[in-house]
Amino acid sequence: MSKKPKLLWLQSLTCNGNSHSFFNHSDLFSILSHFELIHFPLIDTKYTLEDVLNKRVNCDILIIEGSIKHGLEKCGVDIATLIDYYANEAKYIITAGTCATFGGMFKEYDSDNINGFAFDRDKAIDNFSKFRKKLISLPGCPIHPKWLSYVLLMIANKKNIPLDDKNRPQELYSITVHTGCVRNEYFEWKIDTHGFGHKEGCSFYENGCQGPFTRGSCNKILWNDVSSKTIIGTPCFGCTEPDFPKERLFFTKTNMGIPQKMPLEVPKRAYLTITGVAKSFNIKRLERKLIEYNNDN
Amino acid sequence: MIIKKLIEKVEGEANLSFEFKDGKISNVDIIFNIYRGIEEILKGKPTRDALVITPRVCGICNHAHLIASVRAIEDGLKNNSLEFTLTQKAKDIREFTLACELIQNHIKWLYLTIYPYLERLLKIERSDNHTLKASYIANTITKAMAIFAGQWPHSSYAVVGGVTCDPTYLDTIQSLSHIEDAIRFYEKVVIGMNLDDYLAIESISNLDKLGGDFAKLLYLLGKNEFAKIGKSFDRFISFSDSHISKKAKSIITTVSAVELKFVKEYKQKDSFAKGVKYKNRYFEVGPLARAMINKEPIVKSLHKKYKDATLTRVYARVHEVALLLKQTKEILQNLDVTQESCVLDSKIDINNITGIGTVEAARGSLIHKLEVENSLIKSYDIITPTQWNLSNNAVAAKAMIGLDSEDIASFVFRTFDVCSVCTTH
Ligand code: SF4
Ligand code: SF4
Repeated sequence: MSKKPKLLWLQSLTCNGNSHSFFNHSDLFSILSHFELIHFPLIDTKYTLEDVLNKRVNCDILIIEGSIKHGLEKCGVDIATLIDYYANEAKYIITAGTCATFGGMFKEYDSDNINGFAFDRDKAIDNFSKFRKKLISLPGCPIHPKWLSYVLLMIANKKNIPLDDKNRPQELYSITVHTGCVRNEYFEWKIDTHGFGHKEGCSFYENGCQGPFTRGSCNKILWNDVSSKTIIGTPCFGCTEPDFPKERLFFTKTNMGIPQKMPLEVPKRAYLTITGVAKSFNIKRLERKLIEYNNDN
Repeated sequence: MIIKKLIEKVEGEANLSFEFKDGKISNVDIIFNIYRGIEEILKGKPTRDALVITPRVCGICNHAHLIASVRAIEDGLKNNSLEFTLTQKAKDIREFTLACELIQNHIKWLYLTIYPYLERLLKIERSDNHTLKASYIANTITKAMAIFAGQWPHSSYAVVGGVTCDPTYLDTIQSLSHIEDAIRFYEKVVIGMNLDDYLAIESISNLDKLGGDFAKLLYLLGKNEFAKIGKSFDRFISFSDSHISKKAKSIITTVSAVELKFVKEYKQKDSFAKGVKYKNRYFEVGPLARAMINKEPIVKSLHKKYKDATLTRVYARVHEVALLLKQTKEILQNLDVTQESCVLDSKIDINNITGIGTVEAARGSLIHKLEVENSLIKSYDIITPTQWNLSNNAVAAKAMIGLDSEDIASFVFRTFDVCSVCTTH
């Protein structure tokens, strides 16, 4: 008998994106070696989905992917009820992705019947009080593979994970996506990127970047070990947040030329003061192209 | 007699119901019973938001959805007489990231969907290295791709008029190293020979040079009748031009033009997935279709002998990886980073347009159609590759009819690289 914690990955209403995201992990096998894999949607495991559906397996860690939809069945088994069954059984419950955590994108189709496991957007629902002691929320659309491996390895190493009020690990979600973005210098001096497709400039002023008020460590722990949306000039769409997806995702909503939504907990007055000062200088280096490819020197 | 089977790990699940008459399968119903309403969610949204929403149709081919979506909007703008041409750089980068997505997909299919189930079916010793191999490629290729796309899955880096990234040679060189790693893997592990030498093989008689897991797979398939079974309509279709395909159809090896207006979707009973036909006929899409249309010599040579049997279908998919690896390397070696990334203003109004975007996704042609009114999406229609292959009575069903075991039929089904997730959008 293996004494490794039993890991069960269960899908509800999902795009499979979290499974694929996790599968990209560069250390997948060393991570999985700490667990007995009961079921994972991409890997051939000892138990079949039918075993899982018929409650023939046990689990210590339950990973939920996808939003919970009332009445959703697989082979005549009600998935919400099945998730409850394993949730009671498990010692840890991880909601992997924004769908499983807050309801996510698919909630928009049938908002009353589709929710996260323990949240309806930012509102805690019954499951939160019921399972809060063993719940770990990992929002993100999809989850970052290394956020999940951090949680799994903390559990495997019997360490306590400091959580915030929504049970998100603080070590992952206490900073914003803005932290570590290579465009920070342009943000400081309030220089826009002027359209798409430029190395220079920041996407906060026109292109809708939500990095400064979105919790997550996309720019601290890079995506696929190499990059992130904001680094390559795509705005952050706030996909870790309870209200993802908002609308007009490629535009900054402004008020008299100033972004409507402020960086997390920054008072508008403070922001305006700094902006006024920063904009009064005309810093040539930051206005120029970074690289002149046709330079003959 | 009816036997029901749950097929899992095919990008979601599908329920198959086999009807047997005189010991042979006489009918197969393929049922997908999940629906996520993505087309409904898109209604009333600002047009550009489709670039964030449609990738979430599917965790494995999200990028293809992004490209189909951006092409649909661009097509709509052009129909409205806005004139613009993407730079070669933007086109190349899009083709590159798309090719990367196809490569990781095909390799995952080979090692996660095909090998384990074939070994189980044939009751032969199971090797547990398959997952490791799939994971190596998934990791390597998505790195190469994320350098341009920011992340995989669910990037939205293709925008109207180009791409958001503005890579340096530092980026292309790093990405190239990952592609070279992937090529080395393909050479050492999958084909057991040099990539260029492999691509020079044009006929079955020279396939004896092939080694690696591919040769082993072909041997197992050939020995177990898969060169004879799994035949379907022998009609193939593709709706976009790319390195690996042309917009055309192939009927008993005759290639001719196609028009999108003849594509028709219809409702199917008991299933949330719609069926789709071209001029009222079923067509196969995917790597085999692309190779037949593109007259890929080695695939044609196999087809000549085995027609569209399972062996030929499997071959075409693994073979396509070789074409794509070579293409990705060439794109990176020749990419001119000094061109513009995006030729359109990020704020141009997108209003009152209808457009169609097509793309060759891993499993075949993907079509997005949209209509925009008052700057909001009025309707959005997605036709996925799996709909072509898996409608009831269509390509996969025909390939299974006449077989005498539901287990063998289920394997034939898997060779189509089913995507239940996409189909249940
Ligand atoms: S949160 Fe995003 S990645 Fe995860 S299932 Fe939902 S749509 Fe897919
Ligand atoms: S692009 Fe976004 S994340 Fe990057 S510096 Fe600007 S606001 Fe911050």
